[in-house]
Amino acid sequence: MPASAKYEAAQSPVALVSTVDRVLSAILRHNATLLLVLVFCAVAVVSAFVIRDLQTANAEAQNIYAVSVQGLRQIGELQFDAQETRRATLYALTTSDSNLQVEYADQSRGADQRVTDGIAQYLRQAKLPAEIELANRLTRDWANYLSVRDEVLADILEGTTKEAVSLDLSGGVPSFERVREDLNEVKRSYDDQASQRLANVVATSRRSAVRLIGILGFTFLLSSTAVWAIQRSRMLSAIQLAKLQMEFVASVSHELRTPLAVLSSAADNIADGLIEGKVDLHKYGTVLQNQSRQMSSLVDQILLFASTEDRQRRYVLQPLDVTQIIASLEASTRELIQGARFVLERHIDPGLPQVMGDLAALTQCLQNLIGNAVKYGGESRWIGLRAFVAPAEHYIGQELRISVSDRGIGIDRSDLPHIFEPFYRSPRVNAMQIHGTGLGLSLATRIAETLGGRLSVVSELSVGSTFTLHLPIVERERLEMTGVASQPNSSRQT
Amino acid sequence: MARLASLVIVLGLAALLLAAPPRETAPAASHPRPEQNIPTQPLAIVVNRSNTVDDLSMAELRKVFLGERSHWPNGRRITLVMREPGEPERKTILKDVCQMNESELKNHFLHGLFTGEILVSPKILATPVGVRKFVFNVPGAIGYLRLTDVDNTVKVVRVDEFLPEDKGYKLHVEVRLAN
Repeated sequence: MPASAKYEAAQSPVALVSTVDRVLSAILRHNATLLLVLVFCAVAVVSAFVIRDLQTANAEAQNIYAVSVQGLRQIGELQFDAQETRRATLYALTTSDSNLQVEYADQSRGADQRVTDGIAQYLRQAKLPAEIELANRLTRDWANYLSVRDEVLADILEGTTKEAVSLDLSGGVPSFERVREDLNEVKRSYDDQASQRLANVVATSRRSAVRLIGILGFTFLLSSTAVWAIQRSRMLSAIQLAKLQMEFVASVSHELRTPLAVLSSAADNIADGLIEGKVDLHKYGTVLQNQSRQMSSLVDQILLFASTEDRQRRYVLQPLDVTQIIASLEASTRELIQGARFVLERHIDPGLPQVMGDLAALTQCLQNLIGNAVKYGGESRWIGLRAFVAPAEHYIGQELRISVSDRGIGIDRSDLPHIFEPFYRSPRVNAMQIHGTGLGLSLATRIAETLGGRLSVVSELSVGSTFTLHLPIVERERLEMTGVASQPNSSRQT
Repeated sequence: MARLASLVIVLGLAALLLAAPPRETAPAASHPRPEQNIPTQPLAIVVNRSNTVDDLSMAELRKVFLGERSHWPNGRRITLVMREPGEPERKTILKDVCQMNESELKNHFLHGLFTGEILVSPKILATPVGVRKFVFNVPGAIGYLRLTDVDNTVKVVRVDEFLPEDKGYKLHVEVRLAN
């Protein structure tokens, strides 16, 4: 049935539109909590990003220090020690004292060992191909210089100063110049790395600042929206509640006024002596009886709803046969159905299992559905009553379903999400001058839920509606274990 | 006048004789032998580790320390390293290798340098560490060290096929007394 809509009271809907309506309704009901959760989630997500950025910036800063700054410091030391190696070698040229020459040679060798170790460390730390190539070149150039330096030192110590100077000029100077250029290149490499990392830190910090500003703005905006929405929701709820209560009072007043007017006029006629014959007196008595019963029923329904308002009403649960429930329902609605000249068509499947429930409550629940079918059944004056077993939709197993159908005006799709709310009256039925309190379906839903079941509806405008009461089936083993099956009169409260 | 000049010359010679250092005492007296129960230790002849020479005879060693041999077989120039005059190691070399006293050695080198027979005079170093470092730095260097001052930066050569630890090794120096 493409145009029909299905809705389940307090359970998941099937139709997409109903789902959206329910979600919107839930949002309206819980907007404050949802907005707070939304704000918290947004703040948490952005905070996580900001924390990650800060950690990245911190790691970059540590990298800058550990790699670039330390590297630059090490290269500075290498440059100094390389110069010290050469300086000490040349100092040996300035004296003819062999003891001093040996001291200078010793200093030169000490410095060159530090340079060799530093280059080896740089080679170990080199990761990029360019760094490895540079480190290898530096190692090679430094070894070349040292071989020349050793010859120069030997010449100096031997006393052949002229040969030492000549060798240093021809071999020592160019090879040391290559080493110096290599070290400068390493220094430039560290400079570039430090600059790159510094740029990363600046970019990360800027991104963090933007995100922080964004989240602060977003939080402010969302908080303002939340406050506005909460206030507006409360105001609308208060207005709606006041409107519903006024409509309820008007409806109840109207429902009471009609029988009261009838009672009053009948009493007046009797008091004024206008009713003389026995037949007329009986007729007036019947009218008075019917109207007072109608008033009593209305008051009972209001009181029953009030008693279920806090969901603390206790029911006496006992295993019930479906036939027992149907019989009770028929007895309580026979007069209503016949009075409205409706036809009740029953389809009760044979061999239906027992259900746990309160007979009076279930009768009241189904009676409300029958009352609605009579009220909104239209000119077809037909009511279908069906009882059957079907797979449960919300748990594994089977459930008993008792459905009440009519071929009346149907329910508008936009009204479906609200028809189970207390005091709700469709604008359409108000316009059609169909009176009611808006409590019947709400009361039926509460009874169904309290008994462990639920209520659902499938309706199509101008075609009709089917309300179904879903009840869990009592397992035979459970009945036997609790001894309930063997003791039909035993009961428990819920 | 001539008599006065002769007197001045005679007085000058007498002054020189008085100011001249006393002659070296007998080697046996200044370098006690092990058999005299004076503790001694071997004196090692050391060369640069790159030097291919492993063994020298006492005669070759004498030529080297007297500057009469100027190059190693590999062509590298020989650089002689000596301790300062008066050091026990130097005395051992003078007595056992050069078979000269200080004056004779000095005169020998002055004569050799003057005539061109010797190219380079010995390098004088104040400490054993200095000797060791010098030999380490100069490929053609040769010097001497107490065996306790030798480490792996220098190479010890055999003398007459004996290493310093061997029995029959001829170069010994009295043990340095602790202060």
